[in-house]
Amino acid sequence: MSVFASMGQAEARRRADQLAAALTGIGVPCKVEPRAALAVLMVESGVAQRLADGELRRSALALAREQGFTHLAVELTPPAAGANATLPRP
Amino acid sequence: MPLTAHAELAQRAAAREVALVRWLHERGRIAIGFSGGVDSAYLAVAARQALGAPNVLAIIGRSASYPAEQWATARRVADSFEIPVLELDTDEMNDPRYAANPSNRCYFCKTELWSKLVPAAAARGFDVVADGTNADDVGDYRPGAKAAQENAVASPLAELGFTKAEIRARSRALGLPTWQQPSSPCLSSRLPYGTSVTADRLKQIELAERRVRDLGIAGDMRVRYHDDIARVELTPAELVSWLEPARAERLRSAVAAAGFDRVALDLRGFRSGSLNILHGVTAA
Repeated sequence: MSVFASMGQAEARRRADQLAAALTGIGVPCKVEPRAALAVLMVESGVAQRLADGELRRSALALAREQGFTHLAVELTPPAAGANATLPRP
Repeated sequence: MPLTAHAELAQRAAAREVALVRWLHERGRIAIGFSGGVDSAYLAVAARQALGAPNVLAIIGRSASYPAEQWATARRVADSFEIPVLELDTDEMNDPRYAANPSNRCYFCKTELWSKLVPAAAARGFDVVADGTNADDVGDYRPGAKAAQENAVASPLAELGFTKAEIRARSRALGLPTWQQPSSPCLSSRLPYGTSVTADRLKQIELAERRVRDLGIAGDMRVRYHDDIARVELTPAELVSWLEPARAERLRSAVAAAGFDRVALDLRGFRSGSLNILHGVTAA
């Protein structure tokens, strides 16, 4: 079973926040929404494109795995919504 | 693929086909569970060529979880190769054990499929029924295989050791349009276990995937359903190009138009059995 199957919401939230901090540290400022073992990244406009870099993407996936997430996805937002998001700076 | 590896694959595949033809002749007549996917299409064409049309029956089980596009492919293959076809409606959606979407959902679907298909074949004088399971499938988590065993359905491609690559090689050699078609499991496989299977959700997923295909994405691809979020899995090569802002917006817009509030792009890309991994049913 996924580690998230027996985990409370608070623990899932804590792992998501830790992942967000770690990703921000490598140049991917984001918020993370946990959906069981799926972590959904919410990023400002233009940040998603950075993840086209293979090395950065692999690092992001590794950080997600460290927190128990088996899946990592970046939310695609309409241009206006992405520009208006309030997200931490790296 | 290097030329020698390509030649070795072709040689190995051709040898397996010789064994398959022998297997088919030993049975004499055969009905095939026919989805129009790579494997069952190859088996049906091989059987048609080995045994002749009167001794082959390709049976299509239609339901809401069976994509219309795949049905069209199945019909095209059958028409091109003059394979007799029987179409049956299956009713797994009305089985609450299936609709609840447990991790062994496929068992209930295949039980329904074979319970209709096997008697229909027998009534037409086909005592042997086969499916397109291949040797690569055998190690996967496939609860539907148990239903095939319970209904005495043969899996000659798996039995004779055909890998997917070998089936594609022989399909290409025989001129099947399916030879490079991506694998296409039923639409319910896009729903996480525990998320109930409904006709509306399956239609939404099918529409979203069709819209993604309309963008020109041809390789392995899935739209996974996470309530309000559609998570799109593309091949790694496609994934990189669809992160570019203008293209990302085209992708988002296409999928959102199928009725999803939010669209996310998976950063690892397409994985067969992705939702089995998400639920810890199989290892990441």
